[in-house]
Amino acid sequence: MTTRALDPVQRRALRQRQLRRAGTYALATLIALWILLPIWLIGTMAFSTSRDIYAFPKQIAPIPFSTETMEFFLNQQGIMSATRNSILVALLTLVLSTLIATPAGYAISRYFFIGRDAFRLSVLAVRAFPIVILAVPLAVTFIEWGMYDRVYSVALMHTALTLPTTILVVSSVFTSVPREFEEAAKVFGCNAWQAFMRVVLPLVLPGIAASAIFTFVMSWNEVFAATLLTIRNRTLPALILYQLNKSSLQFQYAGGFFMLVPSLIFIFFIRRYLFNMWGQITK
Amino acid sequence: MQRLRLGLAPYLLILPSFIYLAVFFAWPMGRSLQLAFVRDSQILPVLSEPQEDADVVGRLPMQIEVAVVDRLKTEELLPNGRTRPVYWFKVVGEAENGDTIEGWVHQKNLFIKSRTESDTARVVSGEGAKEWTLDYIERMVNDYRFQEALKTTLLLIVLILPIQFVLAITMALVLQSRLRGNTLFLYIYAIPLGISDLAAGLVWVTIFTQRGYLNTFLQQLGLIDQPYIFLSADRQHWMIVAIVLAEVWRATSIVMVIVVSGLQAIPHEYLEAGELFGANLWQRLRHIILPLLKPSLQVALILRTILAFQVFAVVVAITGGRVLTVLAYETYRWYDPGDSGFNNPNMAAAYAGFIMLISLAFALVYLRTVRTQEEAARE
Repeated sequence: MTTRALDPVQRRALRQRQLRRAGTYALATLIALWILLPIWLIGTMAFSTSRDIYAFPKQIAPIPFSTETMEFFLNQQGIMSATRNSILVALLTLVLSTLIATPAGYAISRYFFIGRDAFRLSVLAVRAFPIVILAVPLAVTFIEWGMYDRVYSVALMHTALTLPTTILVVSSVFTSVPREFEEAAKVFGCNAWQAFMRVVLPLVLPGIAASAIFTFVMSWNEVFAATLLTIRNRTLPALILYQLNKSSLQFQYAGGFFMLVPSLIFIFFIRRYLFNMWGQITK
Repeated sequence: MQRLRLGLAPYLLILPSFIYLAVFFAWPMGRSLQLAFVRDSQILPVLSEPQEDADVVGRLPMQIEVAVVDRLKTEELLPNGRTRPVYWFKVVGEAENGDTIEGWVHQKNLFIKSRTESDTARVVSGEGAKEWTLDYIERMVNDYRFQEALKTTLLLIVLILPIQFVLAITMALVLQSRLRGNTLFLYIYAIPLGISDLAAGLVWVTIFTQRGYLNTFLQQLGLIDQPYIFLSADRQHWMIVAIVLAEVWRATSIVMVIVVSGLQAIPHEYLEAGELFGANLWQRLRHIILPLLKPSLQVALILRTILAFQVFAVVVAITGGRVLTVLAYETYRWYDPGDSGFNNPNMAAAYAGFIMLISLAFALVYLRTVRTQEEAARE
């Protein structure tokens, strides 16, 4: 590599740029540490022996590595069934929410109809609304209807929570597929349904999958409504919250880490779509 | 991009969502207000004759004393073929509007010492009636825990939001400067989006607890000899600090994502022009970036404020909910049928209604903001 000789002014400018670059890197790394360090610390606790959990000063890496604490947590009464409930609720929410939201998202992005703006704005407003608070009247109603303390009633509540976001994301995903593709398919002899299934669907599937994953994470994390709507069939966050005051540190650390793991994995898969999810305010 | 196509198709497509939101959003909202404002009370109908199907001459409220002026003993047939004596009483009492009412009531609705001798009785039951009431609201507003909860919630908003916005803008600018490894940084910055408030609270418990990491760190620096107890009832300011850090840690990513989208919408020419004219970073931020980011910041601010009124599990994880309380926790506590709760859905609905009202106001502001922005974008 040949470098052209630089005059002093240019050299100073270059050095300044490199310095700024290094500064930005340092800042970026610092912020990354701010986010990662606490996760590392609770992970350390979750994989330490019970002696190390109560030790002081604390170790900053799980040495010796031990699954004792995690096992203790997972063997606690009800944790396994609560985990099952949580997964079931999240899957039900995912399916319901995607099935109901996809047609609406398609309608908003592809049709121009009277009431479209009103519908879209109400969806925006509902998303901004603290839907979990509605768990109070829903709990009372579910008791009257004999639906209280059921896995599917929590899923119904969670679907109300995730539906607006899913509608908006799906509509933005559809908008990103040019409608000319669909029209071209029709020119080549597809009907509307075939054009949708063969041309549009393959293109939007990754985006819809990402939104479905996000729906899963939202439901997996939700604690307020789940706590109010269940007593015996608690979801994992509801059970942990309920036992918090009478639980040991081992339980809290392992439980916190256990709840955190899915988000680490899922956010990795959907990171490219996150801006569709929250960034989109117009269109 | 769109063309006008009238027809049923779009309406059929949005119908499922519409119905779902009507059933699980609009309806519970109405139900919540009903719980908060309507009391199930009882009122006793007084009859003209000692018979179940006689005319009603008036109604008496619960728990008042009435004079017994006459009585009638009848026989009631039991399922096993025997009979038992049942009394009807002619009573005189005062209705709620002050009228004196005289008529017959069945013994099951009265508490009477001796069915054959007493000349006074107390009204103890009747038929269900619904009445509007402000009692729950009044009781909520006068509850000192409500005032505490409101104060703490507002304090948290005032402390958390500025830090969050500065941090989120910094994160967005760092991502915008396209460093190598940008996607990795993006992933790391986005991780908190998927972390629940309960998990975030527990994460910060590991740091602030007595034998936790903060004390380890301080001791390593030689600043303390003994672990300092941060999370105790008489050190509420430390609990506030822990909650603020946990919320900043967990919920800044949402703001960051909105700000990044806003940044991407700023034309490059503007920034380049700024650089060309020798504006330093602060000047560019102050005069170019922030003014153009205003729409995104408005949206993020409103959304974050609404979310802040729901803050719940972080507070429970760090304080146990007893020392410091917030509005959402009070809602939960009034509803909770367990040992620590009051099992009072009406009061819980009053709290929920209060949170809804505040959020509704912010949501309307949000809608207006979005609409103005869209109109501005169209022009």
